[in-house]
Amino acid sequence: MKTTRRTFLKGAAGGLLASRLLGGKLETLTAAPAPAAEAAGEAWVPTTCWIGKQDCGMLARRVNGRLVKLEGNPIHPRNLGTLCPKGMAQIMAVYDPNRLKTPLIRTNEKGVPGQWRQASWDEALSLVAKTLREVRARDPRRLVWQKGRSKASAFYDTAFVKATGATKLHHGAFCSDAGYRACEYTIGLHGVLHPDFRHTRYLLAWGWNLTGAGGNKLCWITWPQQMTAARERGMKIAVIDPRLRGAGPFADRWLPIRPATDLALALALCAEVVRRGAIDRDYLRKHTNAPFLVQPDGYFLRRDGKEQVWDTGSGAPQPYDAPQGQPALEGTFTYEGQILKPAFQVLKEHLAQYSPEWAASICGVPSDHIYWLAQDLIEHAMLGSTVVVDGIPLPYRPVAIMAYHVAQQELGFQLTRALLLLMMLLGSIEAVGGQRIDFTWKLHENFKKLDEIEIKDPPYNIYLKDSKFFPINSNNSALVAKVMQDPAKYGVDTLPEMAIVHMANPVLSFGSKPDIIEGYKKFKFVVVIDAWLSETADLFADVVLPAATLEKYEGPLSATDQYTDAVALRLPPMAPLYQARGEIDIYLDLCEKAELLYGKGGYLDHLNQALKLKGPYALPLDQKPAVRDIFDRWAKSQGLKEGIAYFEKHGVWVKGSIPAKKYYGYAQEPPFGGIRHRLYGESLLRYRDTMRAKGAAEIYWRDYTPLPTWRQPTMEGSPAQYDLYLISYKLIEFKQSRSSFIPLLAELAPEQRLDINPRTARARGIADGDEVWVESHNAVTGETRRVKVRARYTEAIRPDTVGMPHHYGMWVHPWAKGQGPAASELFFTGEGYVANTADQSFHVKVRVYRA
Amino acid sequence: MARYGMVIDLDRCTGCRACVEACKVENNTPRGSFWMHVFRFEEGEFPNTRVWFMPRPCMHCDNPPCAKVCPVGARYKRDDGLVATDWKRCIGCRYCEVACPYGVNCFNWKSPEKNYYLDWQDPELTARTNGAIPPYKNPDLEGRYGPEQRHVAGGGHLKGVMEKCTFCVHRVEKGLSPACVANCPLFALHFGDLDDPDSNVSRLLREKRSFRLLEELDTQPRVHYVGSGHAPGAEARQIEHVKGRI
Repeated sequence: MKTTRRTFLKGAAGGLLASRLLGGKLETLTAAPAPAAEAAGEAWVPTTCWIGKQDCGMLARRVNGRLVKLEGNPIHPRNLGTLCPKGMAQIMAVYDPNRLKTPLIRTNEKGVPGQWRQASWDEALSLVAKTLREVRARDPRRLVWQKGRSKASAFYDTAFVKATGATKLHHGAFCSDAGYRACEYTIGLHGVLHPDFRHTRYLLAWGWNLTGAGGNKLCWITWPQQMTAARERGMKIAVIDPRLRGAGPFADRWLPIRPATDLALALALCAEVVRRGAIDRDYLRKHTNAPFLVQPDGYFLRRDGKEQVWDTGSGAPQPYDAPQGQPALEGTFTYEGQILKPAFQVLKEHLAQYSPEWAASICGVPSDHIYWLAQDLIEHAMLGSTVVVDGIPLPYRPVAIMAYHVAQQELGFQLTRALLLLMMLLGSIEAVGGQRIDFTWKLHENFKKLDEIEIKDPPYNIYLKDSKFFPINSNNSALVAKVMQDPAKYGVDTLPEMAIVHMANPVLSFGSKPDIIEGYKKFKFVVVIDAWLSETADLFADVVLPAATLEKYEGPLSATDQYTDAVALRLPPMAPLYQARGEIDIYLDLCEKAELLYGKGGYLDHLNQALKLKGPYALPLDQKPAVRDIFDRWAKSQGLKEGIAYFEKHGVWVKGSIPAKKYYGYAQEPPFGGIRHRLYGESLLRYRDTMRAKGAAEIYWRDYTPLPTWRQPTMEGSPAQYDLYLISYKLIEFKQSRSSFIPLLAELAPEQRLDINPRTARARGIADGDEVWVESHNAVTGETRRVKVRARYTEAIRPDTVGMPHHYGMWVHPWAKGQGPAASELFFTGEGYVANTADQSFHVKVRVYRA
Repeated sequence: MARYGMVIDLDRCTGCRACVEACKVENNTPRGSFWMHVFRFEEGEFPNTRVWFMPRPCMHCDNPPCAKVCPVGARYKRDDGLVATDWKRCIGCRYCEVACPYGVNCFNWKSPEKNYYLDWQDPELTARTNGAIPPYKNPDLEGRYGPEQRHVAGGGHLKGVMEKCTFCVHRVEKGLSPACVANCPLFALHFGDLDDPDSNVSRLLREKRSFRLLEELDTQPRVHYVGSGHAPGAEARQIEHVKGRI
């Protein structure tokens, strides 16, 4: 099939025009008419970006079989015909002669840079399959599958993991999973926090994600596009971050908060909103557990197993779901000799200790500014107002929080709970213009699961699932590395022996590099599937399998921008370069060799379930399919008659606007599907009590409180000479560890740097551009670590804070050499440096001195 | 005839440099050569700090000092407003570089095959790309453009030749926006006919306040900036400066 860009655009004219107009850009050129026919052998073929997380749609310009350029696909809702610097520069990475060209088998010892011999696919896969079979036969727990980013979760996370019985390790505990757990637990939605940009009037941009890379569910383009459009409508933005750079010129207010004190500010804002009575009582009463009666022991009053509320009419408790009655939110009641308070009353009393003046001293910002923020929030929340969307009258509360990577701190779970509480008090959760978490209202299974965790006695699995240490558990690979070093301490009796590392470079990308290295030393057999020889492969791989970059099939990939429903596939615009192969091909062959492909319970069977392929679309369980055929069946099963040909023509299937009925939780019947949001986390108290009863130390259970409760972060216990906070962030030029060696990008941001306020630097005799040592200290173990890096002056950071981006530190690729150290070398993991949900913290106290 | 110009909305720029990369890939510019550049600035002292960004292509001046000093007529003003460089005629004297007050000229000190970031002479790669350097080499850059049919799209980036932003003449003549404009994720860059009052660029200039860089020099730039920003003054400190590794 050949498509020129011209006919491509014609075919998609409606969508293109609409999306460009929405984006505020429609330029009609009046140039001379273009030549009648495109150059011979030229085509524009759709594919999908491979570097980032949001899978932007792309059109590849192909001339005589050679890719000449990747441009944004104009009909893709997420990027509207544009690409970020990474997406644009990616073409150089695709052709990089330093990519892995063949499978490799290690010939030297592990733990040092690898020496390799090239192997055939058959030999390499046979070796992996043989080890896999042998390890599985002994104990499937001895196999782990470590992902960084998964771009076809049905094929990888689900089918491959289920077929092999591997323990799956994620990357989320280094990203925003503390926020995910808090949102799942509190609201029932899978995500962190973003606004309803089309309607939000006031935004708290918490952390560095506003225009810096990264954001809830999407990695970049979509959120800034919606943010700039919202600002042109008049939306105001208050930025809460120790650094201004992440928000650039888009901050109407900047609160340069002291790192890791976000919970204190969030609690003070909650307290001020409650003190001023600016609360959405109707929402709290009907859709949260705020009226549930709490006993003096902190647990809900239950009768016949049902939570009770105080009926002000009858002056007695009644079941929360009784059809009549007026449940009290405030007050203290005595019933059958027991003092009872509605959860909201408990919250109100709890918040009394958290005034703006109190928070100001902790957060290092003037109390006036906290009052202003509270005033802005209350003013813009429009309490009591409604608006009609798609014919449905809905509450209108145009205030929201954008918070993403900020969740990854020691108090991150409770911080996110407090942010949600603030939005709950204002009634903005899932209201028009209000707080969004997922793209649509979709109750997540963790709402129930995280409320009903059965904390077990040891032995625990490798990431301490259901343990007395981290009952809510985000599966942190750095903590796994800690467990690998000292399994007895954590009640683990079976260590994994074999790891399959998929699109991940744990040695550099995750927190606490020294711990990860020690942990990986314990694996007896490591397989790395990657497009480049990663540092993890260099030190630890026994076998390296070369993966294709974007020249492969992957998906299905969500293409929604939160307002339009769309799905896309990654399609190969050319055959894989060198001997690289798509991961799906690799897993099909590996499963076949490991005798895990065919029959019931095999990879194909799990694929049918994961992709919901039934009846005529189901893959036969006795023959290996072509990957294109799998996607063709999937596309047809979704109702596309043309099957995969539709995607080969358009790249993305744009299904249309998401109606209010699917979008807003408030628009459900009943609202929110009838669940009650957890203002009060009773089960957190239950976990705390169980953890204590099972002998867990205080450091594990102290943050399991039913209401978010401030305490000093552990790092504050470091000696006074470690007088600066180190924070980290990502650059727009790079994505995780997939890009700092791409020359076009490395040229823009050639080396690691330490952001330092000139006042702080001058006091230490440090000039702009000087080399300095940054030395971090672990307040629990006393361990110190240091790296050498170049100081860069900036007035856009607090004087008590220094910052380092999360990239660099690689050494294999010729362009990665000499870029300076990774920030992950300085962060610690384990007690005091993870949240109560096992999520990694990216805060540590450091001292900085001239090198 | 249309007379082109660019309008840059500073209220929308996040400084991401996607335009820079779009230019580099479209025009295959060598290492260290930036026809489009995005400045990142900081002003003021903590906590009264301001961070802002300014893309800077060639200004395609109506009174171009670079064209006046070109001894061979390689640098010239086209009727459609573009300031063009004929890479076949350029003798590399660099007078234009000295004359230009905006610093947009990039001289090729090295031959292109030695200056494309990586060693592309890989047999397995060249077998797939017919030896193109870079492998994504844009075939349109070698062509002749305009009524004069001159070599003004950058060509092969020959050693000893001066180059700069062409407003992507090879795209514009096909009816496409320059690569930077087409790719701007925030729709901050706009391109069109400044003589047409109904064009997007004319409309933006009517609706928002605007300025041009170094207007006092009477270069009459065809690149206009709109929005609440201002031209960078002495208080603007450059951050995250790009030098390239040459």
